[in-house]
Amino acid sequence: MVGLSEGEKHFIRGGIAQDLRADGRTRLQFRAVTVETGIIPQANGSARVRMGATEVIASVKAELGKPTILHPGKGKVSIYVDCSPTAAPMFEGRGSEELSAELSVALQRCLLGGKSGAGAAIDLSSLIVIEGKACWDLYIDGLVVSSDGNLLDALAAAIKVALSDTGIPKVNVSLNAETDGEPEFDISDEDFLQFDTSSVPVIVTLTKVGKHYIVDATSEEESQMSSAVSVSVNRLGQICGMTKRGGAGLDPSVIFDMISVAKHVSQRFISLLDSEIAAAEAADAE
Amino acid sequence: MRDLHLPLNQTQRVRLEAALHELQTLAPAAASAAAVTVADTIPVNHEDNILKGHGTTDQDGEVVATLCGVVERVNKLVYVRTLRARYKPEVGDIIVGRVIEIAPKRWRLEINFSQDAVLMLSSMNLPDGIQRRRTAVDELNMRSIFEENDVVCAEVRGFQHDGSLHLQARSQKYGKLKRGQLLTVPPYLVKRRKQHFHHLEQYDVDLILGCNGFIWVGEHVVVNEITTFNEDQEKLSAEVETFTPMETRKHICRLANAARVLSALGFTLTIELIIQTAEASLSSNVKINDMLGAEFYVQTAETEAKRRADLLGRKKGGAR
Repeated sequence: MVGLSEGEKHFIRGGIAQDLRADGRTRLQFRAVTVETGIIPQANGSARVRMGATEVIASVKAELGKPTILHPGKGKVSIYVDCSPTAAPMFEGRGSEELSAELSVALQRCLLGGKSGAGAAIDLSSLIVIEGKACWDLYIDGLVVSSDGNLLDALAAAIKVALSDTGIPKVNVSLNAETDGEPEFDISDEDFLQFDTSSVPVIVTLTKVGKHYIVDATSEEESQMSSAVSVSVNRLGQICGMTKRGGAGLDPSVIFDMISVAKHVSQRFISLLDSEIAAAEAADAE
Repeated sequence: MRDLHLPLNQTQRVRLEAALHELQTLAPAAASAAAVTVADTIPVNHEDNILKGHGTTDQDGEVVATLCGVVERVNKLVYVRTLRARYKPEVGDIIVGRVIEIAPKRWRLEINFSQDAVLMLSSMNLPDGIQRRRTAVDELNMRSIFEENDVVCAEVRGFQHDGSLHLQARSQKYGKLKRGQLLTVPPYLVKRRKQHFHHLEQYDVDLILGCNGFIWVGEHVVVNEITTFNEDQEKLSAEVETFTPMETRKHICRLANAARVLSALGFTLTIELIIQTAEASLSSNVKINDMLGAEFYVQTAETEAKRRADLLGRKKGGAR
């Protein structure tokens, strides 16, 4: 993290107060978002999302596994995030562990729901192959390639895009007596099932600087924040999760205000992502 | 095509490619011949025994480039100057840097060089403007001149015997830069010129093109001959809630975005070009933020191609 001089800090705070940030954005404007899909051939689905100088990659890998005894009718999903040392010198060695864990937890909360898997954004029962015997395990991995603020929003967007890119192979199960009732799997190489991602939320982080809050903060702006609220909102405008960072307290009325702003902004963001996904898929098909 | 990550649509892509192609054909043949990539042979006359410099190697009697860049020849020496490399200082360069450490009698500055530059307390004008020996008290008060993370403008004084780089700031025009933003561009885009400080009166903006690729765009400050520091400090705290005027801020952002666009397209940053680009955005009613959008990139590339073509045409016309 580069330090900023007093003058620069003052300039950034002033820009946010006057609704004209350093790169000419208003407070509720995102940086240009570019999306690519299918960037990792080995994965079942993958995406790269760039927001200004922030770049993240998400991949989805599906493996056949066994459902837990407690929830025989549900598949398993796990989310992990890693910060590449190429993104910032401070991520070298164990330096990124804390941030990676924080991002992973925030994403797990927003996307996976409770321990039982209830309320997850991804329909876990659609991952089942044979109840109690076999299910798909989804491993969602995020990688921060380059960091310039607003990592959580970028990661959530990348995961959403990667999931929409994911094709889960069709499985033919043959039960026969020879193998003592153990099913045999025949994983198809050609037929894929697309995933229903309409309920996967996006995350909008509102970073509070001074009296105002901004979306899509750069790392310079994040260094001036007092607190940040990340709200995940789905397509219907419903709140799926919330996390708050930063030590400074927030008045409840401000939080309500932030939520309604986040809800409004997220709808714009979702439609932006949708058009980007469509464009990326069209580019892939070429 | 470069590492531009732009969501271009079909027509924009075609237009940008056409503009870039135009620029390529306009470049003098000597310039394109001097650009090499890894494993390109560098044509040399073997009769005058040449010296192979940085970025070259000998392979089967031929000189081959081991780096991407531009071939430079100094007498017998042939070397490759890489473009995306760190800054290589020359004495007299005006640079913008950031203080990273305060050491006894000196500040250490990050200037995008392979090592940190050193600004000695003795090679800078004291705020009271009086020439005198630096005392221990001055040394204790160093932090009141520059703190860590301050953005500072200075001049390259020279290299010490141990290879470290020394700076000087012996005039009122050098020193701390306060309200504004710092951009970083590849250093090769800033050419050495007579003038690196620019006070754009029409905008009330200071623009400093540091030779090391650090560009400062900030609010204009009036240079007083004598400014005592204490007074300065008070002013800053009293003005905490009086931010940069909106008009000035708009100009700062517009100029900064113009510099961003030009550097992303790989055009040499001159003050004229930056102002021209900012003015072009203003006259075609492009919003400040939209300057970073695909359409404005394409427009800028086209304008530049046209400008260079005109320039070349005029030169040729003059020759006839």
